[in-house]
Amino acid sequence: MRTDTSPPPFERVLVANRGEIAIRVMRACRELGISPVAVYSDADVDALHVRHADVAERLGPPAPAESYLSIEAILAAAQRSGSQAIHPGYGFLSENHAFARAVEDAGLTFIGPPAATLQMLGNKLAARRSAEAAGVPTVPGTSVALGDDLTELTRLGLPIMLKAAAGGGGRGMRRVDSADELGEALAAARREALSAFGDDTVYAERIISPARHVEVQLLGDRHGGLAVLGERDCSIQRRHQKLVEEAPAPGLDEATRAALFDGARRVASAVDFHSAATAEFLIDSAGNHYFLEMNTRLQVEHGVTELVTGVDIVAWQIRVAAGERLPAGIADAPRGGHAIEVRIYAEDPYDGFRPSGGTVTAWQMPGGPGVRVEAGVEAQTPLPAEYDPLLAKLLVHASDRPAAIARLRRALDETLIGGVQTDHGFHRWLVDHLAFADGRYDTSFVEVEWGNGPATGSEEEGLVAFAALEARRSERTGDPRHVAADDSSAWGRQARRGALRR
Amino acid sequence: MSDHEVRLGDRHVQPAEGWRLDWLDRAAGTARLVGEGRSIPVVVEGSGSEWAVTLHGRRHAATVRTWRERLFAEAEQTTRGHTGELTVRASLPGLVVAVRVSPGDEVAEGDSLLTIEAMKMQNEVRAPRAARVTTVAVQAGQVVATGAPLLTLE
Repeated sequence: MRTDTSPPPFERVLVANRGEIAIRVMRACRELGISPVAVYSDADVDALHVRHADVAERLGPPAPAESYLSIEAILAAAQRSGSQAIHPGYGFLSENHAFARAVEDAGLTFIGPPAATLQMLGNKLAARRSAEAAGVPTVPGTSVALGDDLTELTRLGLPIMLKAAAGGGGRGMRRVDSADELGEALAAARREALSAFGDDTVYAERIISPARHVEVQLLGDRHGGLAVLGERDCSIQRRHQKLVEEAPAPGLDEATRAALFDGARRVASAVDFHSAATAEFLIDSAGNHYFLEMNTRLQVEHGVTELVTGVDIVAWQIRVAAGERLPAGIADAPRGGHAIEVRIYAEDPYDGFRPSGGTVTAWQMPGGPGVRVEAGVEAQTPLPAEYDPLLAKLLVHASDRPAAIARLRRALDETLIGGVQTDHGFHRWLVDHLAFADGRYDTSFVEVEWGNGPATGSEEEGLVAFAALEARRSERTGDPRHVAADDSSAWGRQARRGALRR
Repeated sequence: MSDHEVRLGDRHVQPAEGWRLDWLDRAAGTARLVGEGRSIPVVVEGSGSEWAVTLHGRRHAATVRTWRERLFAEAEQTTRGHTGELTVRASLPGLVVAVRVSPGDEVAEGDSLLTIEAMKMQNEVRAPRAARVTTVAVQAGQVVATGAPLLTLE
């Protein structure tokens, strides 16, 4: 229930997504007095997000193209449920301009930037040109689509990254190290871009390495109001996909921070913008910054910004979609402190972060001061192979960075996940890493420092062997409660209970 | 003296001493290891000789066998000998997720032959000795029962 008197911005909002982000959006809806509507594929009939909604509408078979990517199925679900607006979450249709346009054509509100802006900034090459025109430095590269003439490329110097214009978010990228690979790599990049994005336009950028990946959160209303909600460092990545994000960015000097904020503002101001978006930059070892791309949607890692600013980005996306103005000075009095997010993926970090799959059996998430968990699963959740392997995000907030790392270590030690290999062990290793503690890391950190992880220590092996041995023994003796090498712990437990009663 | 031996992968590991295992939820497999003035959460799942232990976020496959089971397994190994044709069989029921070899391939001892997902774990089936693959009886996506022939080596 809302305690103020203003009416909810909408009565009913359909959340066109699944997993943790669908639940995050539904929670914002609830807090605004809005009834959330879930959609689900046949693989998600019993999914957690479905149970967070008032109404759930079936989309179709598990394949994304027939469910979460089906514009037709989602619009039909919105009509059936009487929804007035659609929040797309991230991924799936969130940056699809045809979807945004279809939503508006159906007389509903798309909770995101205008369709024309999605279209313009969705083409990464056009976004590059727009940034250049706005006087924002971009990664040295081609500002035109690559033809068969490779001289432009060789002028850049190797290695380079070939990127699909319709890609983004780390997808549709191909590294080229030597000149004789170029022709073949370009042809392959075109084929990949065509099959993945339906557009074979490719461009090239010089590889900035070492580099830090820092992004700026923007929030805008329909009346020209634009707020910069600070930056996040997202340099801990594997396969160009983020694993850990933090705010503020460690070691970022004020001049660079101001330049990033100014650059983000310029790129957004050059287009018709409202809702949430993120301007991504690389910062090289000399401190130069380069605009990479603009993500015109809610980011996975928006929560770290919410923790340090106190601004509910999702709630504001919904409110500005309904026409509300952002309050002046929304970003002027941040909560401060430091926030870190780790992404819990069903991936095996000891085997190249290969997706692990299976069924989550045990699921025990941390709690206590300064801990926020955004989970899309619970115990006994089978993981459909069709979708992203992100299980949950674990966020911590504390007064400063060392306190946030200590809190994260504590929270990770409270976390127990069974049934699938996750990257939990990677995060636990990370919080004890000296370079991470010092904030000295770049986008190559995971590859260079982790590889496939350290070998298991002998103490750890002994404990694993002991646990397995005791589990087998308990199975034999049939003791359902606990097992010990001797009987002392039963007495210890009894003694502790007695002590509590006194 | 333990009446069991524990293996992690292909190595025999001595279980730690001076610890105890307290179950939090036996059905879910959550527990904590208590010892040396410390308490460490773990997840322990499985049954019989095959277990998976998640410690500090890392999932380890562990085999716990009685001496009788071990002797039986060793006798089986001996009768196979070190030459001639050898049929590699599934040691537990599961789903074949990847077949890494084809007939004619030369493999070294310890090479991964295929991966079977069982008990929600990916288990690598490895070559028991250097050999040449003669036949492959399964393909990815196939469910196999315990003892099912997977491939033959010579």
